[in-house]
Amino acid sequence: MLLGLLGVAAVAGSAWVLYLDLLVTRQFEGRRWTLPALVYAAPLELYAGLPLPAAELAHELERLHYRRVTQLDRPGTYRINGGRLDVALRPARFPDEKRDAQLLSIFTGADGIESLRDSAGHEVPVMRLEPLLIGSIFPSHGEDRIVVTPQEVPPLLPAALKAVEDRRFDSHRGVDPQAILRALWVDARAGQIEQGGSTLTQQLVRSYFLSSRQTLGRKVREAIMAIALDAHFTKDDLMNAYINEIFLGQDGDRAIHGFGLASQFYFGKPLAELDLPEIALLVAVVRGPSYYDPRRHADRVLARRNLVLKELAEQHVVSAAEAAQAARRPLGVSPRPAGAYYPAYLDFVRRTLRRDYRDQDLTEAGLSIYTSLDPRAQDAAERALERELARLDHVKKHAPDHSLEGAVVVTEPQSGDVIAIVGGRDVGYDGFDRALDAHRAMGSLVKPFIYLGALESGRYNAATVVQDQPVDVPLPGGRHWRPENFNHDVNGPVPVVRALADSLNLATVGVGLDVGLPKVAETLQRFGLERPPEQVPAMLLGAVNVTPLEAAQLYNGLANGGFRNPLRAVRAVIGADGKALKAFPVQVTQVATPEAVYQLDRLLIAVMDRGTGRSARPLLPAQLVVAGKSGTSSEFRDSWFAGFSGSDLTVVWVGYDDNTPTGFTGSAGALPVWAHIMAGLNERSWNAPMPDGLVDIEIEYPTGLRALPGCAEDRVSVAVPAGVQVQPKPGCGFPDNGNLTTTLTDRAHQWIHELFR
Amino acid sequence: MKTGGRIASTACSALVAIVLAACAGRPPAPYERTPGATPGTRSPGSAQPPAPAAPGERPPAPAARQYRLGPAANALVAQAHTQANGGEFAGAAATLERALRIEPDNPLLWVELGRLQLQQDNAAQADSMGRKALSLATGDPDAQAAAWRLIADSLRARGRNGEAAEADSRASTLSPR
Repeated sequence: MLLGLLGVAAVAGSAWVLYLDLLVTRQFEGRRWTLPALVYAAPLELYAGLPLPAAELAHELERLHYRRVTQLDRPGTYRINGGRLDVALRPARFPDEKRDAQLLSIFTGADGIESLRDSAGHEVPVMRLEPLLIGSIFPSHGEDRIVVTPQEVPPLLPAALKAVEDRRFDSHRGVDPQAILRALWVDARAGQIEQGGSTLTQQLVRSYFLSSRQTLGRKVREAIMAIALDAHFTKDDLMNAYINEIFLGQDGDRAIHGFGLASQFYFGKPLAELDLPEIALLVAVVRGPSYYDPRRHADRVLARRNLVLKELAEQHVVSAAEAAQAARRPLGVSPRPAGAYYPAYLDFVRRTLRRDYRDQDLTEAGLSIYTSLDPRAQDAAERALERELARLDHVKKHAPDHSLEGAVVVTEPQSGDVIAIVGGRDVGYDGFDRALDAHRAMGSLVKPFIYLGALESGRYNAATVVQDQPVDVPLPGGRHWRPENFNHDVNGPVPVVRALADSLNLATVGVGLDVGLPKVAETLQRFGLERPPEQVPAMLLGAVNVTPLEAAQLYNGLANGGFRNPLRAVRAVIGADGKALKAFPVQVTQVATPEAVYQLDRLLIAVMDRGTGRSARPLLPAQLVVAGKSGTSSEFRDSWFAGFSGSDLTVVWVGYDDNTPTGFTGSAGALPVWAHIMAGLNERSWNAPMPDGLVDIEIEYPTGLRALPGCAEDRVSVAVPAGVQVQPKPGCGFPDNGNLTTTLTDRAHQWIHELFR
Repeated sequence: MKTGGRIASTACSALVAIVLAACAGRPPAPYERTPGATPGTRSPGSAQPPAPAAPGERPPAPAARQYRLGPAANALVAQAHTQANGGEFAGAAATLERALRIEPDNPLLWVELGRLQLQQDNAAQADSMGRKALSLATGDPDAQAAAWRLIADSLRARGRNGEAAEADSRASTLSPR
C-alpha cells in the first residue's frame, strides 16, 4: 500500500520533472528566435565636396559613439591630426552591402571634406558611416533586446559575470549548493537577504518565467528547471542565453533585455566595444536594474561598480592596477537612452510597415529596417520646437492654464524622404503623435493651391490685378458667408503676388470662386490629399482638416517642381538572413506643369521676402532663397507654417490639443519654429531652373505695374509667361506700346532657337 | 532692402538664363540657378557654368550649361551599372538613390533612375523620371536630349510609337547623336 503510494508519487514526481524539463527546454530553444526589428537612421555619406567641417564630422562620429584616441586600436575609434581625421570604421550592414571593418582617412579644409583615402592611400570617392540605431519594434509585452552572438561578446563580460554572480558556473550542474549555504550564512549574519545564491542558470530560468515571487515551491521548480537546462545544453549556450536574456533596465513601457541592448541603451555603442569600467557597470546593474539605475542613482551605481571591480581584481580576472584605474573613471552613461530618441518617427515607421507585415514579423523576425531619418535634422527640429514653444508659452496672450503643443515634419522634396518628425514638445514621449494624428484646419496653407489652379487656367499671372473687396456668398438655407481679411480692412485692387504674400482673404476668395471650388479640390487631391475636401466656400480659407504629415505631402509637390512622391520613412527592409525583403524606391508622378509650379514658387518666395513670412528673414542666412506660406485657422486655433529651400521642406503646426484659440497667427507661432529649424540645417537655396517660356520681371508690389529700379521703390521680382501684357508704371521709360520684357525675351528666344537649329 | 543684394538688375535677370556670362561679375541673379556657387550639405552641385567672359568680350554663344556628375555620384552610377548588369535591380536603385541624395538636382541621375525602371519594365515610372529630368535640365541641351530619349523609349515600351517618334525628334533637335 505504502509502496503503491510511493510509486504513484514517484511517477507523478517524475512526470512533473519531465514536464518542467520540456517546458524550460522549449522556452530556451524558442527564445533564440524572437528578435525585435532594429530600426536605423539614414547613414551619413562622406565624399569630397561635402561641406562638413572637421568639428561637425567629429560630432557625427561621437553620435555613433566612436571614441577619440591617439592610436587607432580597434573599430569604433578615431583620431584627429590637423586637417586629417583617421577613423577605424566598424563592420556595418547596409540594405545593399555588408562592409567589413576598415580604416578611412578624411582630409578636411575650410570648406569641408577635401578627400577620402583608404588604408593603402588610394582615393575613395564615397564612403558612408554606419547608420545610427534609432530603436526597435518590440512586442506589446515590452521586451526589447538586441541579440548578440558569442563572437560579439567581449570575453571580459562572461568572466566578470561568473566572478560576481556565479563562481562555480563552469563546474556546477545548474544549482550550486555551496553558494546557497554561503548565502544562507551571510543572510543569517546580516539578518536580511543580501545574497541570492542563485546560479546564472537559475537566474535565466527566473527570467524566462517572469516569476518575481520567491516561494519555496517556485524555488524548487526553478532548481529543477536549472538542472534540466544544464543537462541539455552546453555552458557556452547557457552563458550566451543569459547574456541575451537578462533584464537590465526599464524605459517607459520598454523593458531592456540582454547586454547587447543594454550596451546601446546605456552607452550607445556595440557591446564588443565596452571596456572594463563599462562592463563592470552592466554587471553591477544585473543585481537590480531599478535600484541600480545609472541614470537615476549615479552614486549608488558608482559604489556598486567599484565593488564589482574590486571583486574582479580579487579573483584575478583583471589586475589590481587595472581595477584601480577603472574605478577612477566616471560612469560614462549617455544622458538619454539610445533607441528612445525618436518615438514620433518610429511611429510613422511602424505604420508604414504594418501595411506589409504582421506585428509578429516586426517584433520577432529579426528584421533590419533602414529609414530616411536624418539625426541632424531631427535634432534641429526637436530643439527648435522645444525652445520656441517655451518662449511662446511665455508671451501668449490668451494664457490658458495649459501649454502649447506643436508638431514638425521635415522632408527632402526630390526623393520624398521624411528626414525628421516631431510629434509634440515632449519629444521623447511616446504618446499622441500630432504629426500623424492631429487633424487640424489648414487655414491659409490652402491658398497656394487656389493660386496654382488660377495660374494653370492661363487667366492669371503674378501681376494680374485682383479685387480685394467684400465678398458675400449666399449659402443654402438663406445664410450668407461673409469672410473678412485678417485685420478687417479692404485693400481694393492688388496684384496676385501681393494677395498671396499678404495672405489677403477677400482677394483670394474672389480668385477661388472664379477658379471654382471643384478645381481647387481637384488640385489638392492631385498633390496628395487623400480625402476629398468638402466643397464649401469656407474651403477657400482653409476649412480643410489635414495632419502636419499630410500638409508636408501637399507642399512636397510644390517644392519638387510639380512632381508628387509618396512621402517615405522606410527605404528598405532586410531579413535576419541579410536578404533584402522589401524596398521602397523613389517614385515620382507629375501632377502639375513645371511652368505653373515655378510661377507659384516665385510667389511663395515673395511671401518670405515681402509678406507674412518676412519676419523669418533675420533668422536665416541673408543669401538663402526660401519659399513658404503661413496658415492661421479661424480664431487662431491653429498656427501653421510650410516652407522650403532647395534642399528641405519643413511643416510646423502649433496649437492646443483641445482646439482652444492660441492667439497666434501662423507668422507669430509656427514661423519662428520653422525659421530656427531651417537655420539649423545646412540649407541650399531654392533654385529651380526657370522653364523656357517664362520671364523674370519686376513689378511694383502695391500696384502690379511693371517697374524698374529708379522709378519705383517698392518692387518685387516675379516670373510670368513670356508675352503677357503687364501694364508699365508711367515714367519708367518703357516703350509706349507696352512691354520691354516681352520684346527682349521674344528676341532672345528666337536667337536661342536658331542656335540649336 | 535686404533682398536687394539677391536681385540683380532687371535686364540682367531677364536675360541671365540666356546669356549667363553677360552678367558675370554682378551678384547672382535672384532665382536663377547659380550652379556650384552655394553648394549645400547634401548636394555639391555639379552643373558647370560657362566660363565668365572678360569685360568687353563678346558673350559666348549658347546659354548651355552642362551637367556632369561629381566624382562621388559618378562612382555610384558606375556601381549601379554593375549591379543592374548582374540583375540586382533593387541594389542598383538603392545605389542610384545614394547618388541622388548627393546631387538631387542633377537631371542625369534622374535619367539613370528612369533607365533602371525601364529595364524592370516599369515604363510609366520611367516616363515620369524622364519628365523630372527634363524639368531640371533647362539650359543643358544634352541633358534635355537624354531626358527626351528616355521618354521616347518609355513611350515605345507602351506601344505609343507616334509620341515616341516625336520625343525622339525633339531629342535630335536638341543634341544630334
